[in-house]
Amino acid sequence: MNNGQILMADDDADDRFLVQAAFEDNDLINRIVFFEDGEQLLEYYIAEENQDAPNLIFLDLNMPKRDGREVLRVIRKNTKWDDVPIIIFSTSNAPDDVVASYQLGANCYIVKPSSYEELKDLVLNVHKFWLQPKAISC
Amino acid sequence: MKLSTYTLLRRSLSEQQLSLITRFLFGTSLVLIIALSYSYNEINQELVNYSEKVNQTQHVISGLNKLSSAIYETTYHADSYIFLKDTVYINKTLAAIKVVPEITKKIDSLIKDDGAQRKRLNFLKEHAGKFCDYSERLSRPATLINPGAVNALYKRKNEEIASMIKLIGEMNKLEDQLMYTRLQSRDNYMQQVYRYNWIIMLVAVVFLSSAFVLLDRELRRNKFYRVDLENKIENLNRSNSELEQFAYVASHDLQEPLRKIRSFSDRLVAKYKSELSGEVFQMLEKIDNSAQRMQNLISDLLSFSRIVKTGTEAKIINLNTCLSEAKSNLSEVIMENKASIHSESLPSVEGYNSQIVQLFQNLLSNSIKYRHENVRPVIRITHRLVDGEIIPGVKPSHQDIQFHQIKFADNGIGFKKEFADKIFIIFKRLHARNEFAGTGIGLAICKRVVSNHNGYIFAESTEGEGSNFYIYLPTESMLT
Repeated sequence: MNNGQILMADDDADDRFLVQAAFEDNDLINRIVFFEDGEQLLEYYIAEENQDAPNLIFLDLNMPKRDGREVLRVIRKNTKWDDVPIIIFSTSNAPDDVVASYQLGANCYIVKPSSYEELKDLVLNVHKFWLQPKAISC
Repeated sequence: MKLSTYTLLRRSLSEQQLSLITRFLFGTSLVLIIALSYSYNEINQELVNYSEKVNQTQHVISGLNKLSSAIYETTYHADSYIFLKDTVYINKTLAAIKVVPEITKKIDSLIKDDGAQRKRLNFLKEHAGKFCDYSERLSRPATLINPGAVNALYKRKNEEIASMIKLIGEMNKLEDQLMYTRLQSRDNYMQQVYRYNWIIMLVAVVFLSSAFVLLDRELRRNKFYRVDLENKIENLNRSNSELEQFAYVASHDLQEPLRKIRSFSDRLVAKYKSELSGEVFQMLEKIDNSAQRMQNLISDLLSFSRIVKTGTEAKIINLNTCLSEAKSNLSEVIMENKASIHSESLPSVEGYNSQIVQLFQNLLSNSIKYRHENVRPVIRITHRLVDGEIIPGVKPSHQDIQFHQIKFADNGIGFKKEFADKIFIIFKRLHARNEFAGTGIGLAICKRVVSNHNGYIFAESTEGEGSNFYIYLPTESMLT
């Protein structure tokens, strides 16, 4: 099923491939737009034709040109897409990075899992929590 | 700059030799100056003494001259009366006679130490007495009527005068001699005083200048030590920040390829499970295991390096609370192994709470991990106060302070004596991986934590009979 659009900025092609594969292996059909660095994502963000908010953003922290922190800062400072959930997806588990990301307005901080099985389960759970349309109560 | 620093810091003499030489120089200079001052004083006293004696002799000589004058005056007046018969001279004669005993008395007081002169003076006094008597009798108008008596008295008076002149001449001669030797001695002492002045000044100058040279050398050396120390601190800060950078690189860049190796081999298995032969499957599993192990090593290394950076400020912490925190973190392991932990009441120290919890936790889990297979693990924790000097390899500055000794004694498998130091080395393991899991970081972290607290940790054991771990934490906080 198609459950909305995801943006993912990560300079690591393997990671982009693995996330795509994890979605596919979970039989989840999402439109995932990939960016190789923060600058590409910000160009996409600014562009006139992309007014529709995505459903979720995966953001790596350490990228060339403009890194995840800058992207986070820009998106959270503006009104455009201000309610889009942003998941920081990084190899770093340094407390400083975690704290800084939440302070800048990240919704979730996930350390990249070290096995594919873990990643697959993670993608499934993220999908359930952030992307499945919820029944509106009350 | 580097070279000159080195040559300046290098000592041609050892610290001890230098200190000995300084003491010797100071001591001898002091003794010399005191001795010289003492002799100077002695000589000075002699000089004063001889100066006084010279003065005295001069007084004696002038006294003798005055005596001669008085005799001549008396004679002159008496003779004038006899020949001119003018009564004016009677009183003049009597006045001149009066002066004579006064002068002899004065001379007497000046030469009372000189026996030979005194003898002469006594004779002189005798003759003077007679002379005065004859002169007085000659001055009487009654005597003048009788020319025979005048003649006799006049003759006898002249005899007395001759004797007195002779005695005075002798005394004068003796005093002249005395004067000569005394003057010579005085000049001699004066020269010596002059010489001593120079010697004392010379010694003082030598002493002062050597003190100055030594002090100047020490000050310069001190300055270079300070510069050297500042450089070292700068280097240390630099290498610390490099270490932090390394930790970051290790966490990110080194883990990255490993993660890929694991992820892809994992996916390979997941996706092509049905197509893979058993052998390929096994090999992939080995790849995954190795990669995982390396990940563990890197992350352990990272957690070890993070302990260097304390971050938080030291606080007064109760070790009992730390111990119960550590126990609650390990509650599952403790339950599983039915371990019993007995602890005495522990003190409070100034330190980093999380690190001490980590220390206790690592020691407890270490003791439980290396248990005898069929024996319930028992860990006893005891505390006592000890003096710094009993700790092996203690730093000199720690010798005089008290330490808390906290002992963890277990009934586990122990280890051979020769490994007592090695077990604290990072990644050092005493057992094969299939016997006991783990990277070998636990005790290395313990050692790091204890050194962060300016403390010491030691282990002792007899193989098969359990181990004792001793932690020494200073009672006075030395954390800044």
